[in-house]
Amino acid sequence: MTTTATLENPPTTDNPVFSVDGLWKVFGPKADRVPEDAELSALDPADLRARTGCTAAVRDVSFDVRKGEVFVVMGLSGSGKSTLVRCLTRLIEPTAGTICIDGEDVRAMDKARLRELRRHRAAMVFQHFGLLPHRTVLDNVAYGLEIQGMGKAERRARAAEVVTKVGLEGMEQRKPSQLSGGQQQRVGLARALAVDPQVLLFDEPFSALDPLIRRDMQEEVVRLHREEGRTMVFITHDLSEALKLGDRIALMRDGKVVQLGTPEEIVGSPADGYVREFVRDVPREHVMTVRRAMKPGDCAGPAHPGGLAPDAVVADAIKVVAGSGRPACVVENGRCLGVVDHERLLGVVAGTELRGGAAGTEPRKEAV
Amino acid sequence: MATVTASTPRALPTGLLKHRAVHKLLLIALAAAVLVPLANARWASGSWPAALTVDLTKPLTSASDWIINNRDSHPLFLYFFGYVSNAVVISVHAVYVVLLGAGWAGVTALGALVAWRVAGVRLALGTTAAFLACGLLGMWVPTMQTLALMVVAVLASVVVGVLLGLAAGLSRRMDKILRPVLDTMQVMPAYAYLLPVVLVFGMGVPAAVLATVVYAAPPMARLTALGLQGADKEVLEAVESLGTTARQRLLTARIPLARKELMLGLNQTIMMALSMAVIASVIGAAGLGDRVYQALASVDVGAALAAGIPIVLLAVVLDRVTGAAGDGTEGQGRAGWAYALAGTVVVAVAGRLLGRLDWPDAWTLNIAEPVNRAVDWMTAHLYSGVPVVGGTADWAGHFTTWVLDPVRTGLQGLPWWSVLLIVATLAWLIGTWRTALTAVLAMAAIGVLGVWTPALDTLSQVLAAVAVTLVLGFATAVAAARSDRVERLLRPVLDVFQTMPQFVYLIPVVALFGVGRAPAAAAAVVYALPAVVRITTQGLRQVDPAAMESSRSLGATSWQQLRQVQLPLARPALLLAVNQGVVLVLAVVVIGGLVGGGALGYDTVFGLAQGDLATGLVAGAAIVCLGLVLDRVTQPTERRTGKGA
Repeated sequence: MTTTATLENPPTTDNPVFSVDGLWKVFGPKADRVPEDAELSALDPADLRARTGCTAAVRDVSFDVRKGEVFVVMGLSGSGKSTLVRCLTRLIEPTAGTICIDGEDVRAMDKARLRELRRHRAAMVFQHFGLLPHRTVLDNVAYGLEIQGMGKAERRARAAEVVTKVGLEGMEQRKPSQLSGGQQQRVGLARALAVDPQVLLFDEPFSALDPLIRRDMQEEVVRLHREEGRTMVFITHDLSEALKLGDRIALMRDGKVVQLGTPEEIVGSPADGYVREFVRDVPREHVMTVRRAMKPGDCAGPAHPGGLAPDAVVADAIKVVAGSGRPACVVENGRCLGVVDHERLLGVVAGTELRGGAAGTEPRKEAV
Repeated sequence: MATVTASTPRALPTGLLKHRAVHKLLLIALAAAVLVPLANARWASGSWPAALTVDLTKPLTSASDWIINNRDSHPLFLYFFGYVSNAVVISVHAVYVVLLGAGWAGVTALGALVAWRVAGVRLALGTTAAFLACGLLGMWVPTMQTLALMVVAVLASVVVGVLLGLAAGLSRRMDKILRPVLDTMQVMPAYAYLLPVVLVFGMGVPAAVLATVVYAAPPMARLTALGLQGADKEVLEAVESLGTTARQRLLTARIPLARKELMLGLNQTIMMALSMAVIASVIGAAGLGDRVYQALASVDVGAALAAGIPIVLLAVVLDRVTGAAGDGTEGQGRAGWAYALAGTVVVAVAGRLLGRLDWPDAWTLNIAEPVNRAVDWMTAHLYSGVPVVGGTADWAGHFTTWVLDPVRTGLQGLPWWSVLLIVATLAWLIGTWRTALTAVLAMAAIGVLGVWTPALDTLSQVLAAVAVTLVLGFATAVAAARSDRVERLLRPVLDVFQTMPQFVYLIPVVALFGVGRAPAAAAAVVYALPAVVRITTQGLRQVDPAAMESSRSLGATSWQQLRQVQLPLARPALLLAVNQGVVLVLAVVVIGGLVGGGALGYDTVFGLAQGDLATGLVAGAAIVCLGLVLDRVTQPTERRTGKGA
């Protein structure tokens, strides 16, 4: 296997919130030697296990999480994604590599500093909620503030605000056991939001929920992100969830990142057979944008029929083109970037559009 | 001779047993073939060879003499045991004075109001009725003596237990050290704890309280550790992810998450403390147990019953109230507690002003005489000569001559090495070589202590009682597992029987069967039966319904279902039931020494009563060894490994 993480390094003005470089987490006896030894670190999981009794959950992973983006880590169970997110705040101690938050080395932090990081800078939402069963909703939400030493009245007032924000007003005095799964996860989300963290970490937060509730919760996250623009790291095994929420997606397999890019890049240009197999059934017209589907070049007309934004997905363009019966223009800032017609759009749906035709896609505009 | 082991592998169809079991048997047969002729040549005797015993009487007597002589002068006693002893005496006395000072009305009100706050109105009424019944039976003062002893012992047990439990729950290493100790303490008969504390503290309240603490603290420690270790990992992780310190994690998450186990631990500790506080009457604890003890000594069933009923009532009330505290939601606010406290104070002050502190003599009901008349009538009419069925004494006699005597003769007739060999084989087949080694060493220790013959006598009673218990228990359990109606009828009975202290079971069997070995065995059967029935029923009911359904869909009859699906799948539960049955039976059989059970139990009582601590201590040590042997021989490996995980 070759490491095919397509690391893109776009020129960004902001410093990344999280910067992870060469991160390893190896479980087992004398785990330290594995990342150091070039031969051992090249072994595949089964051989490594046979040779050393160790399991490498995270293998040489590097990425940056930019300010304000939703960064999704996606992979099947056992791919190391949950270990990875726990390494970010050292809930699991990494074996090798560096992690920086705002330029500060997380692995060098002492206990007090690390607590400070967990209390104020990164809060996590868990798959099975992790609520304290003996506390009310309000006190669960206020828990993070309580351990920071905030007074009772103040933290309850703050918690009540957050409870309202996640749509649980009226349930403040209930116990977690009296709530549905979706409501419990709202409490988990509120607890993380209450401490006003710089980054929210989600560890498969919705996989224990029913499909309909899951969709509600995903929309809740999209809404929160739109309103607050908070940086989020989101772990999931659900591809459609990843595509729906992610500004960028890191796809993991056996502890390695096999591809890192926008949803469109992952679906449009899979890095290898594994990724291609993975995204085969994705409804491409809901992911690919017209920027990628269009035939570049000005339509040279004044009217710009259709008037699609470059970030519009192909499914929207199909509606416009099918409705009007003629090609539509892609317009940005009053300038026509290109034209999409039946042939181009069908090519996207069928997965036969010209690769490289739109290879120069710039990364999606970052959310503010 | 060696046929015991040599014939076993041949007799077994190889397909039936797993390869490993056959392997073990062959190894044991090989070891036996080498060792037995050697041992037989050197120490050929049926009973344990005298050459291999160590007489501990002299050193033990001199040790106990030394302690008695130095109790008032040696610094160890002056500055440590003396303080402990004084602290215990003072606190028990203080609680007793407070209870008497509150008067019967105050204590009843306190009990009722606490029950009301914790468990609701019904239990509050039950508590009131129980306290009033204690007074009515003329047992108010002994009840308060027992309660005072219990309060101190339970508080101390909880403190000790929680501290040990915290250590084991938070540190892996401590857990490794403590777990086997606590596991073993759990299977020891209560009786065995009495003598060592008497040796150090002498007869009296301090010894009784300390024996109770030693007996009652282990469940608290075990359950505390269990609760701390069993906490939801993700909750702890979530709490850690928010930046808690270790102390905050303990106080805000781990301990509250373990609440259920802690309350269960409190419940068990209270029940075991009551059980022991009653038994401790043998070493000089005043109270209800003492009344029962004295009455049984003179075979005065009526008086024993008058003291026994309050014990049972106390047990049921304490169990229900603390049990309800465990499952109930947390206290519904402080106001209720304030009312409860205020109510108690008002009633107590009112009682004091009216000069009604002591239970009025006019209100007592003497049940001893009518009960004794009834017992006399029973003795006259039911003991023997009842047409067709025979009398109760006849049954006891038959049981003794046809079951107990042959088993005892058989066991004592076995060559000593063959007993060791059987113990080794059983323990190894069911456990690991380590359990086998422990069992053999413990059995050999009994021989070395020089109490081989009485120990085999006790063992014969245990085996006979266990056999009866298992037959009755499994039959009842199968019936209860198959019919909801039977289970519904059985449940309250089992609940009450399981809460009663061991001591109480002696009263009815003495009434029915007189004294001797048979009644001791009968008491043991009654005591062990509920646990066996409960575990077996649960095991049978928890059999995977899918497996049951599929066998039914294949057209299995209900007998086939039971034999081919339920029993094999419930095997772990059945083994656990056997183990529990054996441990519980032993606990009561040795107490049966008080009602003529003889053997080790009698030696212990005799040692205590005559101040002959050497005899008593040796018998106590042999009881411990016998407990170890019986537990290891019946303890399936799964249980051990399951706990270790």
